[in-house]
Amino acid sequence: MPGLTSTEDALSSGIRPSRRGRNLSRRLGAAFWFAVPFVALAITWAVVVEVTGVEARTFPQITDVVRAFGEMWTSGEYLRHTGASLRRVVLGALIGILTAVPFGILLGSSRWASVFFAPLLRFSVALAGIAWIPLATLWLGFGERAVIFIVWNATFFALTYNAMLGVQRIPTQLLQAARSMGTSRPRMFVEVMLPGALPSIVTGLRVGLGYGWRGLVAAEIIATSAGLGYSIFLAQKFFRTDIIIVGMITIGLLWLVTDRALLAPLERRTVERWGMKAVIS
Amino acid sequence: MVRTFGPFVPVVLVWWVIAEAEVFPPDLFVGPGTVLAEFRELIAKGILPAYLSDSFTRLWTGVLFGLLIGIPAGFIVAMSRWARRLTWPLLLFFQAIADIAWLPIVIVWFGFSLTAVTFVIVYTIVFPLMISIVSGVEEVPKDLVQAARSLGAGRFRVFTDVIVPGALPAVATGIRTGLGYGWRALIAAEIIVGTSGIGFMMFDARRAGVVTGVFVGMIVLGILWYALDALILAPFERGTIERWGMVRTAEVGR
Repeated sequence: MPGLTSTEDALSSGIRPSRRGRNLSRRLGAAFWFAVPFVALAITWAVVVEVTGVEARTFPQITDVVRAFGEMWTSGEYLRHTGASLRRVVLGALIGILTAVPFGILLGSSRWASVFFAPLLRFSVALAGIAWIPLATLWLGFGERAVIFIVWNATFFALTYNAMLGVQRIPTQLLQAARSMGTSRPRMFVEVMLPGALPSIVTGLRVGLGYGWRGLVAAEIIATSAGLGYSIFLAQKFFRTDIIIVGMITIGLLWLVTDRALLAPLERRTVERWGMKAVIS
Repeated sequence: MVRTFGPFVPVVLVWWVIAEAEVFPPDLFVGPGTVLAEFRELIAKGILPAYLSDSFTRLWTGVLFGLLIGIPAGFIVAMSRWARRLTWPLLLFFQAIADIAWLPIVIVWFGFSLTAVTFVIVYTIVFPLMISIVSGVEEVPKDLVQAARSLGAGRFRVFTDVIVPGALPAVATGIRTGLGYGWRALIAAEIIVGTSGIGFMMFDARRAGVVTGVFVGMIVLGILWYALDALILAPFERGTIERWGMVRTAEVGR
Protein backbone atom coordinates (compact mmCIF):
# COMPACT_ATOMS: atom_id res chain seq x y z
CA MET A 1 0.00 0.00 0.00
CA PRO A 2 1.42 3.43 -0.79
CA GLY A 3 2.69 5.16 2.29
CA LEU A 4 3.94 8.70 2.74
CA THR A 5 6.61 9.74 0.30
CA SER A 6 9.62 11.63 1.46
CA THR A 7 8.38 14.72 -0.38
CA GLU A 8 5.24 14.71 1.67
CA ASP A 9 7.34 14.31 4.75
CA ALA A 10 9.45 17.27 3.78
CA LEU A 11 6.47 19.42 3.05
CA SER A 12 4.73 18.76 6.31
CA SER A 13 5.39 21.54 8.70
CA GLY A 14 5.24 21.72 12.43
CA ILE A 15 6.88 19.56 14.99
CA ARG A 16 7.87 16.23 13.50
CA PRO A 17 8.73 13.13 15.51
CA SER A 18 12.09 11.53 14.94
CA ARG A 19 12.63 9.53 11.80
CA ARG A 20 12.62 6.24 13.62
CA GLY A 21 9.44 7.21 15.35
CA ARG A 22 7.84 8.01 12.04
CA ASN A 23 8.97 4.77 10.45
CA LEU A 24 7.66 2.77 13.35
CA SER A 25 4.30 4.49 13.36
CA ARG A 26 4.07 4.04 9.62
CA ARG A 27 4.76 0.33 9.94
CA LEU A 28 2.27 -0.04 12.77
CA GLY A 29 -0.27 1.86 10.74
CA ALA A 30 0.28 -0.43 7.78
CA ALA A 31 -0.01 -3.51 9.97
CA PHE A 32 -3.20 -2.16 11.49
CA TRP A 33 -4.79 -1.53 8.14
CA PHE A 34 -3.68 -4.94 6.96
CA ALA A 35 -5.39 -6.61 9.90
CA VAL A 36 -8.65 -4.64 9.76
CA PRO A 37 -10.21 -6.54 6.81
CA PHE A 38 -9.51 -9.86 8.52
CA VAL A 39 -11.12 -8.69 11.72
CA ALA A 40 -14.08 -7.48 9.71
CA LEU A 41 -14.22 -10.83 7.93
CA ALA A 42 -14.11 -12.74 11.19
CA ILE A 43 -16.93 -10.66 12.62
CA THR A 44 -19.01 -11.08 9.46
CA TRP A 45 -18.38 -14.82 9.55
CA ALA A 46 -19.50 -15.15 13.16
CA VAL A 47 -22.59 -13.03 12.59
CA VAL A 48 -23.66 -14.72 9.37
CA VAL A 49 -23.35 -18.20 10.83
CA GLU A 50 -25.37 -17.19 13.87
CA VAL A 51 -28.03 -15.44 11.89
CA THR A 52 -28.52 -18.05 9.19
CA GLY A 53 -28.19 -20.96 11.60
CA VAL A 54 -26.33 -23.02 9.03
CA GLU A 55 -25.32 -26.38 10.42
CA ALA A 56 -21.78 -26.92 11.56
CA ARG A 57 -21.30 -29.70 9.04
CA THR A 58 -21.73 -27.30 6.18
CA PHE A 59 -20.05 -24.26 7.60
CA PRO A 60 -18.57 -24.14 11.06
CA GLN A 61 -18.75 -21.20 13.43
CA ILE A 62 -15.51 -19.43 14.02
CA THR A 63 -15.38 -20.79 17.56
CA ASP A 64 -15.62 -24.34 16.21
CA VAL A 65 -12.60 -23.67 14.05
CA VAL A 66 -10.63 -22.24 16.95
CA ARG A 67 -11.56 -25.23 19.06
CA ALA A 68 -10.54 -27.66 16.32
CA PHE A 69 -7.24 -25.86 16.05
CA GLY A 70 -6.73 -26.18 19.79
CA GLU A 71 -7.43 -29.89 19.67
CA MET A 72 -5.11 -30.45 16.75
CA TRP A 73 -2.41 -28.46 18.46
CA THR A 74 -2.50 -30.29 21.76
CA SER A 75 -2.66 -33.66 20.09
CA GLY A 76 0.44 -32.76 18.14
CA GLU A 77 -1.37 -33.44 14.89
CA TYR A 78 -1.15 -29.87 13.74
CA LEU A 79 2.60 -29.69 13.99
CA ARG A 80 3.01 -33.12 12.47
CA HIS A 81 1.05 -32.27 9.33
CA THR A 82 2.31 -28.72 8.97
CA GLY A 83 5.84 -29.90 9.59
CA ALA A 84 5.53 -32.62 6.99
CA SER A 85 4.28 -30.20 4.36
CA LEU A 86 6.90 -27.60 5.17
CA ARG A 87 9.68 -30.14 5.13
CA ARG A 88 8.64 -31.33 1.69
CA VAL A 89 8.40 -27.82 0.28
CA VAL A 90 11.72 -26.74 1.69
CA LEU A 91 13.49 -29.87 0.50
CA GLY A 92 11.94 -29.78 -2.94
CA ALA A 93 12.63 -26.08 -3.36
CA LEU A 94 16.20 -26.30 -2.08
CA ILE A 95 17.06 -29.19 -4.36
CA GLY A 96 15.33 -27.29 -7.13
CA ILE A 97 17.39 -24.15 -6.56
CA LEU A 98 20.65 -26.07 -6.22
CA THR A 99 20.07 -28.01 -9.42
CA ALA A 100 18.31 -25.41 -11.52
CA VAL A 101 20.31 -22.24 -10.97
CA PRO A 102 23.71 -23.58 -12.06
CA PHE A 103 22.10 -25.51 -14.87
CA GLY A 104 20.10 -22.52 -16.06
CA ILE A 105 23.07 -20.20 -15.95
CA LEU A 106 25.15 -22.76 -17.80
CA LEU A 107 22.52 -23.00 -20.52
CA GLY A 108 22.16 -19.25 -20.70
CA SER A 109 25.87 -18.76 -21.14
CA SER A 110 25.88 -20.65 -24.39
CA ARG A 111 24.00 -19.25 -27.34
CA TRP A 112 23.26 -22.51 -29.05
CA ALA A 113 22.38 -24.33 -25.82
CA SER A 114 19.77 -21.71 -24.98
CA VAL A 115 18.29 -21.81 -28.44
CA PHE A 116 18.17 -25.60 -28.39
CA PHE A 117 16.71 -25.97 -24.93
CA ALA A 118 14.39 -22.99 -24.77
CA PRO A 119 11.31 -24.63 -26.36
CA LEU A 120 11.81 -27.81 -24.35
CA LEU A 121 12.16 -25.83 -21.15
CA ARG A 122 9.18 -23.70 -21.91
CA PHE A 123 7.17 -26.83 -22.61
CA SER A 124 8.33 -28.30 -19.32
CA VAL A 125 7.36 -25.19 -17.41
CA ALA A 126 3.99 -25.42 -19.09
CA LEU A 127 3.65 -28.91 -17.69
CA ALA A 128 5.37 -28.34 -14.37
CA GLY A 129 3.97 -29.61 -11.16
CA ILE A 130 0.55 -31.16 -10.93
CA ALA A 131 0.51 -32.79 -14.36
CA TRP A 132 3.43 -34.92 -13.24
CA ILE A 133 1.59 -36.45 -10.29
CA PRO A 134 0.40 -39.63 -12.04
CA LEU A 135 3.86 -40.19 -13.51
CA ALA A 136 5.62 -39.40 -10.24
CA THR A 137 3.53 -41.92 -8.35
CA LEU A 138 4.25 -44.47 -11.06
CA TRP A 139 8.00 -43.95 -10.95
CA LEU A 140 8.42 -43.30 -7.25
CA GLY A 141 5.40 -44.92 -5.72
CA PHE A 142 3.13 -43.21 -3.25
CA GLY A 143 4.74 -41.29 -0.44
CA GLU A 144 7.35 -38.68 0.48
CA ARG A 145 9.52 -39.04 -2.59
CA ALA A 146 6.70 -38.45 -5.03
CA VAL A 147 5.59 -35.30 -3.22
CA ILE A 148 9.09 -33.87 -2.99
CA PHE A 149 9.57 -34.74 -6.64
CA ILE A 150 6.54 -32.66 -7.58
CA VAL A 151 7.78 -29.64 -5.65
CA TRP A 152 11.23 -30.09 -7.18
CA ASN A 153 9.72 -30.48 -10.62
CA ALA A 154 7.71 -27.28 -10.37
CA THR A 155 10.59 -25.18 -9.07
CA PHE A 156 13.27 -26.77 -11.26
CA PHE A 157 11.79 -25.99 -14.63
CA ALA A 158 10.58 -22.49 -13.78
CA LEU A 159 13.97 -21.65 -12.25
CA THR A 160 16.04 -23.13 -15.07
CA TYR A 161 14.02 -21.38 -17.73
CA ASN A 162 14.09 -18.02 -15.99
CA ALA A 163 17.76 -18.32 -15.04
CA MET A 164 18.55 -19.01 -18.66
CA LEU A 165 16.48 -16.05 -19.80
CA GLY A 166 18.11 -13.93 -17.14
CA VAL A 167 21.60 -14.66 -18.33
CA GLN A 168 20.55 -14.06 -21.91
CA ARG A 169 19.34 -10.62 -20.95
CA ILE A 170 22.58 -9.45 -19.45
CA PRO A 171 23.79 -6.63 -21.67
CA THR A 172 26.57 -7.94 -23.87
CA GLN A 173 28.78 -4.99 -23.00
CA LEU A 174 28.92 -6.18 -19.42
CA LEU A 175 29.92 -9.66 -20.49
CA GLN A 176 32.47 -8.37 -22.94
CA ALA A 177 33.91 -5.96 -20.42
CA ALA A 178 34.34 -8.75 -17.92
CA ARG A 179 35.92 -11.00 -20.52
CA SER A 180 38.27 -8.30 -21.72
CA MET A 181 39.51 -7.96 -18.16
CA GLY A 182 40.48 -11.60 -18.31
CA THR A 183 37.81 -13.01 -16.02
CA SER A 184 38.06 -16.75 -15.73
CA ARG A 185 34.98 -18.82 -16.56
CA PRO A 186 34.08 -19.74 -12.99
CA ARG A 187 34.37 -16.12 -11.93
CA MET A 188 32.21 -15.10 -14.87
CA PHE A 189 29.53 -17.41 -13.61
CA VAL A 190 29.61 -16.32 -10.03
CA GLU A 191 30.37 -12.63 -10.31
CA VAL A 192 28.75 -11.58 -13.56
CA MET A 193 26.11 -14.01 -14.68
CA LEU A 194 24.65 -14.97 -11.35
CA PRO A 195 24.02 -11.42 -10.14
CA GLY A 196 22.91 -10.37 -13.58
CA ALA A 197 20.37 -13.14 -13.80
CA LEU A 198 19.26 -12.81 -10.19
CA PRO A 199 16.10 -10.76 -10.82
CA SER A 200 14.90 -13.33 -13.32
CA ILE A 201 15.91 -16.15 -11.03
CA VAL A 202 13.91 -14.74 -8.16
CA THR A 203 10.89 -14.31 -10.42
CA GLY A 204 11.38 -17.90 -11.53
CA LEU A 205 11.53 -18.94 -7.90
CA ARG A 206 8.29 -17.16 -7.20
CA VAL A 207 6.47 -18.71 -10.16
CA GLY A 208 7.99 -22.11 -9.45
CA LEU A 209 7.12 -22.07 -5.79
CA GLY A 210 3.61 -20.94 -6.65
CA TYR A 211 3.16 -24.04 -8.76
CA GLY A 212 5.17 -26.13 -6.35
CA TRP A 213 3.03 -25.24 -3.38
CA ARG A 214 -0.14 -26.09 -5.25
CA GLY A 215 1.45 -29.26 -6.53
CA LEU A 216 2.33 -30.11 -2.95
CA VAL A 217 -1.24 -29.80 -1.74
CA ALA A 218 -2.56 -31.83 -4.67
CA ALA A 219 0.13 -34.48 -4.30
CA GLU A 220 -0.52 -34.76 -0.59
CA ILE A 221 -4.20 -35.31 -1.26
CA ILE A 222 -3.45 -38.02 -3.78
CA ALA A 223 -0.27 -39.64 -2.67
CA THR A 224 0.46 -39.60 1.05
CA SER A 225 -0.78 -40.12 4.56
CA ALA A 226 0.57 -37.03 6.29
CA GLY A 227 0.66 -33.35 5.54
CA LEU A 228 -1.78 -30.50 5.22
CA GLY A 229 -3.29 -31.65 1.94
CA TYR A 230 -3.83 -35.11 3.30
CA SER A 231 -5.36 -33.86 6.55
CA ILE A 232 -7.96 -31.68 4.86
CA PHE A 233 -8.87 -34.47 2.49
CA LEU A 234 -9.27 -36.90 5.37
CA ALA A 235 -11.37 -34.35 7.21
CA GLN A 236 -13.63 -34.11 4.19
CA LYS A 237 -14.47 -37.79 4.48
CA PHE A 238 -15.78 -37.14 7.97
CA PHE A 239 -17.40 -33.83 7.10
CA ARG A 240 -15.18 -32.11 9.63
CA THR A 241 -15.38 -28.72 8.00
CA ASP A 242 -13.78 -27.13 11.04
CA ILE A 243 -10.60 -29.15 10.53
CA ILE A 244 -10.71 -28.36 6.83
CA ILE A 245 -10.84 -24.66 7.54
CA VAL A 246 -7.95 -24.87 10.00
CA GLY A 247 -5.96 -26.54 7.25
CA MET A 248 -6.96 -24.00 4.62
CA ILE A 249 -6.06 -21.06 6.81
CA THR A 250 -2.70 -22.66 7.61
CA ILE A 251 -2.00 -23.22 3.93
CA GLY A 252 -2.99 -19.65 3.17
CA LEU A 253 -0.86 -18.18 5.94
CA LEU A 254 2.18 -20.24 5.02
CA TRP A 255 2.14 -19.18 1.41
CA LEU A 256 1.20 -15.59 2.24
CA VAL A 257 4.14 -15.28 4.59
CA THR A 258 6.49 -17.01 2.16
CA ASP A 259 5.42 -14.92 -0.78
CA ARG A 260 4.94 -11.52 0.79
CA ALA A 261 7.46 -11.54 3.56
CA LEU A 262 10.17 -13.47 1.78
CA LEU A 263 9.88 -13.65 -1.97
CA ALA A 264 8.41 -10.28 -2.90
CA PRO A 265 10.94 -8.24 -0.91
CA LEU A 266 13.69 -10.49 -2.25
CA GLU A 267 12.49 -9.82 -5.75
CA ARG A 268 12.33 -6.09 -5.19
CA ARG A 269 15.78 -5.99 -3.60
CA THR A 270 17.46 -7.95 -6.34
CA VAL A 271 15.85 -5.78 -8.97
CA GLU A 272 16.96 -2.65 -7.20
CA ARG A 273 20.43 -3.98 -6.73
CA TRP A 274 21.09 -5.75 -9.95
CA GLY A 275 18.11 -5.23 -12.18
CA MET A 276 18.99 -3.34 -15.29
CA LYS A 277 15.85 -2.44 -17.07
CA ALA A 278 12.79 -4.61 -16.82
CA VAL A 279 10.39 -4.22 -13.96
CA ILE A 280 9.17 -7.56 -12.76
CA SER A 281 5.41 -7.62 -12.39
CA MET B 1 3.88 -22.10 -36.31
CA VAL B 2 6.99 -23.87 -37.58
CA ARG B 3 9.16 -21.71 -35.39
CA THR B 4 7.17 -22.62 -32.31
CA PHE B 5 7.08 -26.37 -32.88
CA GLY B 6 10.10 -26.95 -35.12
CA PRO B 7 12.74 -26.92 -32.37
CA PHE B 8 11.09 -29.94 -30.80
CA VAL B 9 12.26 -32.24 -33.58
CA PRO B 10 15.73 -32.87 -32.12
CA VAL B 11 14.14 -33.35 -28.72
CA VAL B 12 11.85 -36.05 -30.06
CA LEU B 13 14.83 -37.71 -31.69
CA VAL B 14 16.77 -37.78 -28.44
CA TRP B 15 13.69 -39.14 -26.70
CA TRP B 16 13.39 -41.87 -29.30
CA VAL B 17 17.01 -42.88 -28.83
CA ILE B 18 16.71 -43.01 -25.07
CA ALA B 19 13.63 -45.18 -25.30
CA GLU B 20 15.12 -47.52 -27.91
CA ALA B 21 18.29 -47.95 -25.90
CA GLU B 22 16.08 -48.92 -22.95
CA VAL B 23 17.98 -46.61 -20.66
CA PHE B 24 14.95 -46.84 -18.41
CA PRO B 25 12.82 -49.92 -17.94
CA PRO B 26 10.22 -50.06 -20.73
CA ASP B 27 7.31 -50.32 -18.35
CA LEU B 28 8.24 -46.94 -16.91
CA PHE B 29 9.39 -45.13 -20.01
CA VAL B 30 8.16 -45.43 -23.55
CA GLY B 31 9.27 -43.93 -26.80
CA PRO B 32 7.54 -41.56 -29.20
CA GLY B 33 6.47 -44.39 -31.46
CA THR B 34 4.53 -46.16 -28.73
CA VAL B 35 3.05 -42.90 -27.54
CA LEU B 36 1.95 -41.99 -31.04
CA ALA B 37 0.37 -45.39 -31.55
CA GLU B 38 -1.52 -45.14 -28.28
CA PHE B 39 -2.53 -41.61 -29.19
CA ARG B 40 -4.00 -42.77 -32.48
CA GLU B 41 -5.79 -45.62 -30.80
CA LEU B 42 -7.31 -43.40 -28.16
CA ILE B 43 -8.55 -41.06 -30.85
CA ALA B 44 -9.91 -43.90 -32.94
CA LYS B 45 -11.79 -45.23 -29.95
CA GLY B 46 -13.13 -41.80 -29.32
CA ILE B 47 -11.80 -41.85 -25.77
CA LEU B 48 -9.34 -39.02 -26.13
CA PRO B 49 -11.70 -36.59 -27.86
CA ALA B 50 -14.38 -37.33 -25.27
CA TYR B 51 -12.05 -36.77 -22.33
CA LEU B 52 -10.55 -33.72 -23.95
CA SER B 53 -13.89 -32.13 -24.51
CA ASP B 54 -14.92 -32.92 -20.95
CA SER B 55 -11.82 -31.27 -19.59
CA PHE B 56 -12.18 -28.38 -21.94
CA THR B 57 -15.80 -27.73 -21.13
CA ARG B 58 -15.07 -27.68 -17.42
CA LEU B 59 -12.12 -25.40 -17.92
CA TRP B 60 -13.87 -22.93 -20.16
CA THR B 61 -16.99 -22.80 -18.04
CA GLY B 62 -14.83 -21.99 -15.08
CA VAL B 63 -12.77 -19.50 -17.04
CA LEU B 64 -15.84 -17.75 -18.39
CA PHE B 65 -17.39 -17.30 -14.97
CA GLY B 66 -14.01 -16.37 -13.60
CA LEU B 67 -13.61 -13.61 -16.16
CA LEU B 68 -17.20 -12.44 -15.76
CA ILE B 69 -16.75 -12.15 -12.02
CA GLY B 70 -13.11 -11.20 -11.83
CA ILE B 71 -12.82 -8.40 -14.35
CA PRO B 72 -15.71 -6.25 -13.12
CA ALA B 73 -14.91 -7.01 -9.49
CA GLY B 74 -11.29 -6.15 -10.09
CA PHE B 75 -12.10 -2.80 -11.59
CA ILE B 76 -14.72 -1.97 -8.99
CA VAL B 77 -12.25 -2.62 -6.20
CA ALA B 78 -9.50 -0.81 -8.06
CA MET B 79 -11.49 2.34 -8.53
CA SER B 80 -12.49 2.86 -4.93
CA ARG B 81 -9.84 3.70 -2.37
CA TRP B 82 -11.84 2.29 0.49
CA ALA B 83 -12.71 -0.90 -1.32
CA ARG B 84 -9.05 -1.37 -2.11
CA ARG B 85 -7.92 -0.81 1.44
CA LEU B 86 -10.52 -3.13 2.84
CA THR B 87 -10.17 -5.96 0.38
CA TRP B 88 -6.51 -5.96 -0.71
CA PRO B 89 -5.25 -8.00 2.27
CA LEU B 90 -8.20 -10.35 1.87
CA LEU B 91 -7.44 -10.78 -1.84
CA LEU B 92 -3.85 -11.62 -1.07
CA PHE B 93 -4.86 -14.07 1.61
CA PHE B 94 -7.45 -15.88 -0.46
CA GLN B 95 -5.09 -16.09 -3.39
CA ALA B 96 -2.56 -17.62 -1.00
CA ILE B 97 -4.94 -20.43 -0.11
CA ALA B 98 -3.94 -22.82 -2.86
CA ASP B 99 -7.03 -23.22 -4.99
CA ILE B 100 -6.78 -26.97 -4.67
CA ALA B 101 -7.05 -26.64 -0.91
CA TRP B 102 -10.65 -25.62 -1.55
CA LEU B 103 -11.53 -28.99 -3.05
CA PRO B 104 -12.34 -30.80 0.19
CA ILE B 105 -14.72 -28.18 1.49
CA VAL B 106 -16.25 -27.69 -1.93
CA ILE B 107 -16.82 -31.44 -2.09
CA VAL B 108 -18.59 -31.24 1.27
CA TRP B 109 -20.84 -28.53 -0.15
CA PHE B 110 -21.48 -29.80 -3.65
CA GLY B 111 -20.48 -33.43 -3.58
CA PHE B 112 -18.27 -34.99 -6.21
CA SER B 113 -19.82 -32.96 -8.97
CA LEU B 114 -19.20 -30.65 -11.85
CA THR B 115 -20.22 -27.68 -9.70
CA ALA B 116 -17.44 -28.46 -7.29
CA VAL B 117 -14.82 -28.51 -10.03
CA THR B 118 -16.19 -25.36 -11.66
CA PHE B 119 -16.14 -23.54 -8.33
CA VAL B 120 -12.48 -24.36 -7.84
CA ILE B 121 -11.57 -23.17 -11.33
CA VAL B 122 -13.53 -19.94 -10.97
CA TYR B 123 -11.75 -19.33 -7.67
CA THR B 124 -8.40 -20.02 -9.31
CA ILE B 125 -9.01 -17.38 -11.95
CA VAL B 126 -10.78 -14.68 -9.96
CA PHE B 127 -8.15 -13.87 -7.38
CA PRO B 128 -5.00 -13.55 -9.49
CA LEU B 129 -7.07 -11.58 -11.96
CA MET B 130 -8.42 -9.16 -9.38
CA ILE B 131 -5.03 -8.69 -7.79
CA SER B 132 -3.48 -8.05 -11.17
CA ILE B 133 -6.16 -5.55 -12.13
CA VAL B 134 -5.98 -3.66 -8.85
CA SER B 135 -2.22 -3.25 -9.05
CA GLY B 136 -2.46 -2.51 -12.74
CA VAL B 137 -4.92 0.29 -12.23
CA GLU B 138 -2.83 1.65 -9.40
CA GLU B 139 0.13 1.80 -11.73
CA VAL B 140 -1.59 3.90 -14.36
CA PRO B 141 0.41 7.12 -14.10
CA LYS B 142 -1.56 9.82 -12.36
CA ASP B 143 -0.41 12.41 -14.88
CA LEU B 144 -2.34 10.62 -17.59
CA VAL B 145 -5.47 10.71 -15.49
CA GLN B 146 -4.96 14.35 -14.66
CA ALA B 147 -4.18 15.20 -18.26
CA ALA B 148 -7.43 13.64 -19.35
CA ARG B 149 -9.36 15.47 -16.66
CA SER B 150 -7.76 18.77 -17.54
CA LEU B 151 -8.97 18.20 -21.08
CA GLY B 152 -12.46 18.00 -19.70
CA ALA B 153 -13.01 14.26 -19.48
CA GLY B 154 -15.65 13.19 -17.04
CA ARG B 155 -15.12 10.31 -14.62
CA PHE B 156 -16.62 7.80 -16.99
CA ARG B 157 -14.43 8.78 -19.92
CA VAL B 158 -11.35 8.80 -17.75
CA PHE B 159 -12.26 5.26 -16.87
CA THR B 160 -12.88 3.99 -20.38
CA ASP B 161 -10.19 5.90 -22.18
CA VAL B 162 -7.36 6.02 -19.68
CA ILE B 163 -7.76 3.49 -16.90
CA VAL B 164 -9.02 0.51 -18.86
CA PRO B 165 -6.40 0.63 -21.63
CA GLY B 166 -3.74 1.39 -19.04
CA ALA B 167 -4.74 -1.62 -17.01
CA LEU B 168 -5.09 -3.91 -20.02
CA PRO B 169 -1.58 -5.36 -19.74
CA ALA B 170 -2.36 -6.21 -16.13
CA VAL B 171 -5.60 -7.87 -17.22
CA ALA B 172 -3.65 -9.92 -19.75
CA THR B 173 -1.07 -10.93 -17.15
CA GLY B 174 -3.79 -11.77 -14.67
CA ILE B 175 -5.59 -13.97 -17.17
CA ARG B 176 -2.37 -15.72 -18.05
CA THR B 177 -1.50 -16.40 -14.42
CA GLY B 178 -5.04 -17.41 -13.59
CA LEU B 179 -5.24 -19.82 -16.50
CA GLY B 180 -1.90 -21.31 -15.56
CA TYR B 181 -3.25 -22.12 -12.13
CA GLY B 182 -6.67 -22.94 -13.51
CA TRP B 183 -5.85 -25.85 -15.75
CA ARG B 184 -3.55 -27.33 -13.15
CA ALA B 185 -6.32 -27.16 -10.60
CA LEU B 186 -8.57 -28.85 -13.14
CA ILE B 187 -6.19 -31.76 -13.58
CA ALA B 188 -5.85 -32.20 -9.83
CA ALA B 189 -9.61 -32.01 -9.43
CA GLU B 190 -10.12 -34.55 -12.17
CA ILE B 191 -7.72 -36.94 -10.51
CA ILE B 192 -9.40 -36.52 -7.15
CA VAL B 193 -13.03 -36.17 -8.10
CA GLY B 194 -12.74 -37.68 -11.52
CA THR B 195 -14.97 -39.64 -13.65
CA SER B 196 -13.68 -38.30 -16.92
CA GLY B 197 -11.22 -35.87 -18.37
CA ILE B 198 -7.53 -35.88 -19.16
CA GLY B 199 -6.47 -35.83 -15.53
CA PHE B 200 -8.64 -38.79 -14.84
CA MET B 201 -7.30 -40.57 -17.93
CA MET B 202 -3.72 -40.16 -16.75
CA PHE B 203 -4.46 -41.37 -13.28
CA ASP B 204 -6.47 -44.26 -14.55
CA ALA B 205 -3.59 -45.31 -16.79
CA ARG B 206 -1.29 -45.03 -13.82
CA ARG B 207 -3.58 -47.23 -11.81
CA ALA B 208 -3.49 -49.83 -14.55
CA GLY B 209 0.28 -49.47 -14.68
CA VAL B 210 0.13 -48.38 -18.31
CA VAL B 211 2.72 -45.64 -18.53
CA THR B 212 1.91 -44.92 -22.18
CA GLY B 213 -1.46 -43.50 -21.26
CA VAL B 214 0.20 -41.21 -18.73
CA PHE B 215 2.68 -40.02 -21.35
CA VAL B 216 -0.08 -39.37 -23.86
CA GLY B 217 -2.01 -37.32 -21.33
CA MET B 218 1.00 -35.27 -20.31
CA ILE B 219 2.07 -34.56 -23.85
CA VAL B 220 -1.41 -33.59 -24.94
CA LEU B 221 -1.70 -31.25 -21.96
CA GLY B 222 1.73 -29.83 -22.54
CA ILE B 223 1.11 -29.18 -26.20
CA LEU B 224 -2.27 -27.59 -25.54
CA TRP B 225 -1.05 -25.25 -22.82
CA TYR B 226 2.17 -24.49 -24.63
CA ALA B 227 0.27 -23.66 -27.78
CA LEU B 228 -2.32 -21.60 -25.94
CA ASP B 229 0.28 -19.69 -24.02
CA ALA B 230 2.83 -19.21 -26.79
CA LEU B 231 0.41 -18.55 -29.62
CA ILE B 232 -2.37 -16.64 -27.90
CA LEU B 233 -1.80 -15.54 -24.35
CA ALA B 234 1.78 -14.34 -24.42
CA PRO B 235 1.42 -12.42 -27.67
CA PHE B 236 -1.79 -10.90 -26.31
CA GLU B 237 0.03 -9.83 -23.18
CA ARG B 238 2.95 -8.48 -25.17
CA GLY B 239 0.60 -6.75 -27.56
CA THR B 240 -1.26 -4.94 -24.84
CA ILE B 241 2.02 -3.92 -23.28
CA GLU B 242 3.35 -2.64 -26.56
CA ARG B 243 0.19 -0.76 -27.30
CA TRP B 244 -0.72 0.60 -23.90
CA GLY B 245 1.83 -0.58 -21.42
CA MET B 246 4.08 1.88 -19.80
CA VAL B 247 6.14 -0.59 -17.89
CA ARG B 248 7.90 -3.43 -19.59
CA THR B 249 7.45 -6.66 -17.76
CA ALA B 250 10.00 -9.39 -18.07
CA GLU B 251 9.11 -12.37 -20.16
CA VAL B 252 8.25 -14.97 -17.59
CA GLY B 253 7.97 -18.64 -18.26
CA ARG B 254 4.67 -19.98 -17.05
